Amino acid sequence: MTRSLTGLIILIFASPSAFAEEQAAPTKEQLDFFEAKIRPVLVEHCYKCHGSEAKIIKGGLRLDSRDGLLKGGDTGPSVVPGQAEKSLLLKALKYDGIEMPPKGKLAESVVKDFETWIKMGLPDPRKSDDVPKSRTLDIQAGRKFWAFQPVDDPTPPDVKNAAWPRDTIDRFVLAKLEAKGLKTVADADRYTWLRRVTFDLTGLPPTTKEIGDFIRDLSPQAREKVVDRLLASRAYGERWARHWLDLTGYADMMGTSNNVYAEHAWRYRDYLIEAFHKDKPFDRFIREQIAGDLMKADTIPERAENITATGFLMVGDVEIVEPDKAKLEADHIDTQMSKIGTAFLGMTLGCVRCHDHKFDPIGVTDYYGIAGMLRSSPSTHKIPFGVWSLLNSTELPETPEEREARLKLETEHQKKFVIMKAEQIKLTEETKSVEADLARLMKDDDKKAALTKRRDELTEQLKKLAASLHHAEFFRSKMPRAFAMHDSDTPADMPIYIRGNPYAPGAVVPRGVMSVASWEKQPEIPKGQSGRLQLANWLADKRNPLTARVTVNRIWQKLFGEGLVRSVDYFGSRGETPSHPELLDHLATRFMNNGWSQQKLLRALVLSRIYGLSGVNDESAMKLDPDNRLIWRMNRQRLEAEAIRDSLLAVSEELQQSEGGPGLVLEEPENCGDLALKGVNPPNYTHRKSRANQEFQRTIYLPVMRTNTTSTDRIRNFFDFVNPAQIAGQRSQTVVPTQSLFLMNNDLFRKRAKILADKLIALHAQPNDRLMQLWLTVYNRPITQEERDHAIKFLTDLSPLVQAKESLLWQELCHSLLASNEFVFRI
Amino acid sequence: MSNTRPTITRRQMLSTAACGFGSLALADIVHAMNSPTARISGVTSKAKRVIFLFMAGGPSQQDLFDPKEFIRKKHGEKIDSPLRKEVTQVGTEKFLALGEAAPVKPRGQSGMMISDLLPGLASVADDICLLRGMNADNPQHASATNQFHTGVFTEVRPSMGAWISYGLGTENKNLPSFVSIHAPGVRTYGSGFLPADHQGTPLTVPLTDKTLPIENLKNASPNDEIQRKRLELTRRQSQRLIDELHGDRNMEGMIQNMELAFRMQTTTPRLVDISKESKDTLDLYGIGDKETDKHGRACLLARKLSESGVRFVQVTMDGWDHHGDIRGNLPRLCKQTDQPIAGLLKDLKQRGLLNDTLVVWSGEFGRTPWSQDLSGTAPIEKHGREHQPESFCAWMAGGGVKGGLTYGETDHMGYRVVDSKVHIHDLHATMLHLLGIDHTRLTHRHLGRDFRLTDVHGNVVKEILA
Repeated sequence: MTRSLTGLIILIFASPSAFAEEQAAPTKEQLDFFEAKIRPVLVEHCYKCHGSEAKIIKGGLRLDSRDGLLKGGDTGPSVVPGQAEKSLLLKALKYDGIEMPPKGKLAESVVKDFETWIKMGLPDPRKSDDVPKSRTLDIQAGRKFWAFQPVDDPTPPDVKNAAWPRDTIDRFVLAKLEAKGLKTVADADRYTWLRRVTFDLTGLPPTTKEIGDFIRDLSPQAREKVVDRLLASRAYGERWARHWLDLTGYADMMGTSNNVYAEHAWRYRDYLIEAFHKDKPFDRFIREQIAGDLMKADTIPERAENITATGFLMVGDVEIVEPDKAKLEADHIDTQMSKIGTAFLGMTLGCVRCHDHKFDPIGVTDYYGIAGMLRSSPSTHKIPFGVWSLLNSTELPETPEEREARLKLETEHQKKFVIMKAEQIKLTEETKSVEADLARLMKDDDKKAALTKRRDELTEQLKKLAASLHHAEFFRSKMPRAFAMHDSDTPADMPIYIRGNPYAPGAVVPRGVMSVASWEKQPEIPKGQSGRLQLANWLADKRNPLTARVTVNRIWQKLFGEGLVRSVDYFGSRGETPSHPELLDHLATRFMNNGWSQQKLLRALVLSRIYGLSGVNDESAMKLDPDNRLIWRMNRQRLEAEAIRDSLLAVSEELQQSEGGPGLVLEEPENCGDLALKGVNPPNYTHRKSRANQEFQRTIYLPVMRTNTTSTDRIRNFFDFVNPAQIAGQRSQTVVPTQSLFLMNNDLFRKRAKILADKLIALHAQPNDRLMQLWLTVYNRPITQEERDHAIKFLTDLSPLVQAKESLLWQELCHSLLASNEFVFRI
Repeated sequence: MSNTRPTITRRQMLSTAACGFGSLALADIVHAMNSPTARISGVTSKAKRVIFLFMAGGPSQQDLFDPKEFIRKKHGEKIDSPLRKEVTQVGTEKFLALGEAAPVKPRGQSGMMISDLLPGLASVADDICLLRGMNADNPQHASATNQFHTGVFTEVRPSMGAWISYGLGTENKNLPSFVSIHAPGVRTYGSGFLPADHQGTPLTVPLTDKTLPIENLKNASPNDEIQRKRLELTRRQSQRLIDELHGDRNMEGMIQNMELAFRMQTTTPRLVDISKESKDTLDLYGIGDKETDKHGRACLLARKLSESGVRFVQVTMDGWDHHGDIRGNLPRLCKQTDQPIAGLLKDLKQRGLLNDTLVVWSGEFGRTPWSQDLSGTAPIEKHGREHQPESFCAWMAGGGVKGGLTYGETDHMGYRVVDSKVHIHDLHATMLHLLGIDHTRLTHRHLGRDFRLTDVHGNVVKEILA
């Protein structure tokens, strides 16, 4: 199936003259009607925004001539002469989907007049020769923009200082620096490099042993050994999965209303950790996330993984309480569109829901072409009571071992359940008999008090038991499920929603992909399928000009602080252009040719000479390139909230491994609201109680709540964690006083300082040894003489103030270092 | 990320370093952090600051300001539904008209309609401008709350307080320009893509000794002297790295903020302390009375902050989400909030502050004229009302709006606005206008686009300007 875009454009932006010819000459009565009933209303209520004197013609619609009305605006003709019910103008006046004029609905009689007028065939003497030209998308012209050009494989440039580069990457950077007459700063020292690469790849600081091993290793492969060790660690998967989560709107809650638990979301998070850990080829990674459910799988775990991967399109902020289900569907599709646009294409597709993109060659037809695929894969369903919807989930296939383990759990659970049930029957029986006794007793019987007391006890016990039974029933071991996409039984093309409104459908658009970034005709969508697989293949195709570029640029940004294209999420015409276009293409090509391996790319990048530069400023370079766009030094980065918390736990040696699993602990009734399902709302959850050890696991394993947060994850609120309603490939690095209060006073820091202090005291008797150890642990470098002298002075000065309490004394010192720049930045 | 850096010079920094921790004048630090980024005027401003009273949950406009004879007469009877068939509502299937909970009567010279439940507000009717044609786009709390604060309900964008701080800068160098008391969620005071110093500072009115007005405000060390010594070392180590790197603005900002945070530990409790207020003032706000104490304290604090030059103070009072028993619940909420709010208006007026302080009262939406009964069995007198963004009421006072004016009209049942509609975007445009900001010119470039609080919408409601 091919889609003719030009055909659609003609349909929507039909030329005015084509309509003008249809008009039979209006009669005098008709024109009188226009002058009496229509023109005054247009002048009073419409011209301000839709007439020649308007500063900006709203919606591109002119209502000061008949041609203007017929040509319509961004969303098509405003009237169909003779057919009032098909005319957008009338819908707008009726406040049906669109509301015009915005100040308030016009009187019913006025709306009737317009209806009559349209039915008459739009008699209108107003002529206009200044109706602006239709804005059409010129796809061919749009393709000339750099980001839509095919990815190139440029020859690495020659450099004067041929001895300097270690990798071709270095040649691309050095050539630009040399051309500008810029010199790089010196290489970073080995301690700094180790701390940098360890944070960048794993989000954790190097241990004392790792520092010692590296510093002692004088072989030429020393750095490679470190990088290979880091890339092979699970910590690497944990860190880079979190980067990806920023692009998904991930949370353990479905929406922002009532804290409805997204009980399967963690499976997608664990899928990501595993995918990065195992270096799943990125093209495969993309396909799985868009259409894993439609892909063939050879094994049961692979099938389960494929299904789980589509959680990418499910986990965002979904307003599941929206009572208007058509709107819910359209809104959720829009979230999915924004996600696909941002994560893979670097395009703001969300803008195109209502109108052609104002700056980029993406039209509503592109939007609804992809949206049709998503609409053919419904992702929510309404629950039988109340107004709520829930995310769709799919049962995951189990291996025989997994099945056996689950059945075993179920049997155990069933036993417990039977005991509880029996207890309930017993207590109910006793209550009955006590009540019967009470009824038989005379008023002043002395047994009465005792019996009443017993009855109240029983009532209380039964109440508790009922809640426990609900809880047990609700969380009994079940077949594993994941929030996942699946094709509907009736996949279909969808209409353009005019102004994004599902009640104002326009022309139906064939499902397809974004024209400007396509290299051939639209993919064939087999009958009975949504088209997601075709979308996935288009996204992950080597010929797609955006995907690889956007991906390598984002990886670059994580290491170097800024992307080669600094607007990492937006490669459109209003975004930034690449500082090193050839390098960007070199990396993209290299990435794809290396089987889309992220680890191979990372390995090359962190072993490059340019990555190993020091972060020191240079006055003369600053003058020529103050923003360090040409990379004459390394950019410093404040650690993310997760890295700060994880590092604190690492330096106090409290950090514990996690196998993943649900973030929110359902076993704890404190975390669950009323489960009895009496009301119209689904049960709601809070994060009151953590699992044992969760407090000491990496931050990625803590539940992400959309509304309330507990003390264990408060740090995310202070250090620029991406709000889970947001899709953002780069975190901001704000500097606000509330962060300082956190560093100064929060228990997360205070407790770690205490534990670290006590460890130092237990480990070394001599202050000098403690100091050496402390500096290695917190700053990952040896202490200087000057620092040592000052630290001793600090301890001496402070000692009388803390009544010489050693633990407190050292806690203050540790806290002081943990709150300093050198701990919360990586340079 | 790059535009969030404070602008203290290196020379200033070194002078701090020389004098030790806590020596840099607080004013300088805050001034440097809050230097106005964009001053977008074009209109003469009446208002210098805003107090926004946010009634979270959606108060019922039918019961408070916009009663309908049609509904009163049909009380308990079935009426025709104006809802689209695709829209699901629960507990409204019977579609029964629900008359107002208490009499709503004309007040003041102007004859503005205000419920008996709000005697305090009724006594200042001629000072307020009632907007009866409010209109929003979403019937869910979270989305509607986002729209009310940021203009949109899906994306994360800066809240209006942040925009106003961004547009006007600070009036007082010693205080943040945007404070949100009892904030209903991060997104309502977030600065989005605007520089972070325009983010609201969330504040809790401490009702017990254990509550901190701002998180982590309590010194973690045994005493101030120990903490000062600890921070001195932190500063020294931080500065050492900056020197080694030949400067870093983010890192310098961290040091300055630590200075400021250190001071906040003592200035904030002083600011929220109301023990020195006169008995008359406390009584005016209902402080000390069990029901009005919390909101009374919040309103008094709002006045103090405004008076000290905070540009945008928000006070959130929640609990208005009356799906059931509105006749029982609404009077309770009115009792809790009426005296504090009326007290605030009176206090502002007597101090001559009302002229240049714009007070805005609103919920995120209103409630339906028809009843809701989630149990399906309750008698009509125990019914509540469902959410309604199509029409609701808000009011403004002071700061250049016409007092005593009732603006906007809804249809016979109080569902749709039929005249003088004020959409959230229009309200935002008008608020900015009153502050001297042209809402179409207050923009910030992000992802290739110039964003506005009013997006591509918004009309200043000229009719309500004094």
